[in-house]
Amino acid sequence: MPAASATTEPTAERTSRKRGAPPARGAAPGRRRQFTTRRGLLIAAFMAPAAVFVAVFTYYPMLAGSQMAFRNWKMTDLTDTSWVGLKNFRDIVTDPTWGTVLGNTAVWVLGSIVPQLVIGFALALWLRRRFRFRGVYQALVFFPWAISGFLIGILFRWLFNSEFGVVNDLLQKAGLIDEPVAWLADPHKAMAAVTIANIWYGVTFFAIMLLAALQSIPDELYEAAALDGAGKVRTLFQVTIPYIRVTLVLTVLLRVIWIFNFPDLIFGMTGGGPNNQTHIVTTWMIKITQQGDYGRASALGLIVVAMLLVFALFVLLATREKRGTKA
Amino acid sequence: MRRRTTVSALGMAAAMVLSACSAMDPGAGGTVTINMVESLTNPARTALLKKSIAEFEQQNPKIKVNLVSPPTEQADQKIQQMLQSGSGVDALEVRDITVGPWSNNGWLYDMKKDLKGWHGWHTMTDNAVKASQDAKGRTYFVPYGFYGLSLFYRTDLIKKAGFSKPPGTWAGLLKQASAIHDPKARRYGYAFRGGDQANSNAAAVIEAYVADEVNPSNGFKLKNGRTIFSAPEALDGLETYLKLFKKASPKSSASWGYPEMVEGFSNGSTAFLLQDPEVIATVSESKAIDKKQWDTAPLMAGPSGKSVQPLATAGWGVAKGSKHKAEAVKLVKFLSQGKASTTFTKKNSLVPILKSAVDDPYYKTGPWSSYVTMTKHPDKYLNVSQPRGVTWWTEWEQKADADVQKMLLGKVTPRKLLADWDAYWTKKWQREK
Repeated sequence: MPAASATTEPTAERTSRKRGAPPARGAAPGRRRQFTTRRGLLIAAFMAPAAVFVAVFTYYPMLAGSQMAFRNWKMTDLTDTSWVGLKNFRDIVTDPTWGTVLGNTAVWVLGSIVPQLVIGFALALWLRRRFRFRGVYQALVFFPWAISGFLIGILFRWLFNSEFGVVNDLLQKAGLIDEPVAWLADPHKAMAAVTIANIWYGVTFFAIMLLAALQSIPDELYEAAALDGAGKVRTLFQVTIPYIRVTLVLTVLLRVIWIFNFPDLIFGMTGGGPNNQTHIVTTWMIKITQQGDYGRASALGLIVVAMLLVFALFVLLATREKRGTKA
Repeated sequence: MRRRTTVSALGMAAAMVLSACSAMDPGAGGTVTINMVESLTNPARTALLKKSIAEFEQQNPKIKVNLVSPPTEQADQKIQQMLQSGSGVDALEVRDITVGPWSNNGWLYDMKKDLKGWHGWHTMTDNAVKASQDAKGRTYFVPYGFYGLSLFYRTDLIKKAGFSKPPGTWAGLLKQASAIHDPKARRYGYAFRGGDQANSNAAAVIEAYVADEVNPSNGFKLKNGRTIFSAPEALDGLETYLKLFKKASPKSSASWGYPEMVEGFSNGSTAFLLQDPEVIATVSESKAIDKKQWDTAPLMAGPSGKSVQPLATAGWGVAKGSKHKAEAVKLVKFLSQGKASTTFTKKNSLVPILKSAVDDPYYKTGPWSSYVTMTKHPDKYLNVSQPRGVTWWTEWEQKADADVQKMLLGKVTPRKLLADWDAYWTKKWQREK
């Protein structure tokens, strides 16, 4: 909101900027803007449109959707939408698929995040060095992040196709397998296949975030470490990693939430099959929505929100502690 | 420069105001604008619809049609939301799987009275007339065509395996497909459907095996009132079907949906495929097999020599909340007859709704002829209504898809699966009463 800041800036600051000087950030307390009721109202007035927008388009639908979780809300029959208490929640947790879904979600999140972090970090370290065509390599590495997850899912569905897919073809040509592996038709292999696809997709994100963090490390630190006779491994663990620790922790924690909430790829690849064996909570929620049972889907949605809230709390505590130790 | 900017800004503002007015004011000059929403959207089909609509508008200068084309994957949900809001939709595409829930929620208009005495009924096939009425005789949509199954087969491969003609029964298919199946040479017998919509072909084989006993007004019911899954013949059918997977289909077909099945046949690796006529166009474009190497045959029969065609359909209907029902019905009538209908079914590879198609050379020759054969012999290829309009159909499809996969993975026997399906439908019908 540039207009807002221009109007509210004190005259002295505006004048100094006119002369070409940089804005006086962190100036002396005497020059700080005074918080008056008028200013408060003005700020509130500028914030109001955004607040109203968020309230109408985010919070209202969320609340309206949440109440469905406690009602018999089936799109196939809206003549009876009576309140059913916690029945939808009970139905979810007593469903035989629930256990599989929880287990799969854990495999999906942990199995994706660890390799993504390791490979992404390695890529970022490699891309940090200066070499010819580094810009081109960076663009190529980051490109997959720009493609929709669903599309990636469909591409991998064909790559992993047992009879016509490239993966089996390469493995057979390399002599690693004799017969085609039924990647997406075997429940265990299907979970592995979708996780591999997700690792490929998410490595890029870690590479982007960590490269940005790595570029903030002053070269002097490396020079000093080299003077002190530190080797590559020691520099990595005692200079690089400690310096970017906060970014590292934050990226991992944020990524956990995103992967948890990322049904696109699985949906494109297996649709949760075979026999519901690759469903994670969010793909299962979509499946239930497709059945038209909005009540049960909302209940599952609220369970997901609760799980993520607990995790977010953990993230906040963890990062606060990290900031504290650093200070 | 500044002046030009001002002029163009004014021009744009005027254009926006004008377009907004035209959208908001359907009654200007006595012209009515009706909104029509399609569901099974694809670019070619939308273009075709627009062409027909333009002709309709020419014949009815006081009616303008605004075609809304949401992407297929979300279309039914979008339509649902529009219908729920009570306005914004006049004419719409209704499918046999959406008519149940939508009419149940009071969103669709019963066109029965408006279409009474309409001459269009006389030009339609029995199947089309039948499909336009629900169990209580209400007309919520007029079908524009049918999706029916026929067997796509490789003429060269069956000859090489020593067979002179395509199989006429499911047992015959098992025999021929097993003879051709050779995974090491990357040659497969049958393009099995184990993934999305696996339930449909499983139901087709079961219905073929109980054809003599099936209730013509409900494909999942026997004449004695019990479910088709309770019949002993159903077990024979499902066991044959499982053998077809084990002996003659690629292992991974346990997760195959439409794209993999069609690819399997089109790329020349698979000898048999059970699919809708829309696949004719795709296979015709194949570079791996030429037109002499494949053909279609009528849907396979059960031991009694009869089969049940699990026809799926969709059509045009009118929203109950529409303020221009008369105009919308007029559009439905226009799209359901004459050139508009013929072109639509031909270009979309649908089984036609008009009787005149039987004499059309287009349907008499090549891969289309098997569909005409089936239409001509209703005693062998029985016309049975499928219960696709029930409110629990989507739930059933998802359950049945997962169950078929369970069976393919060896987690449940055909016998147990049938017992479960029998219990499911019996319970649903009891509740309905």
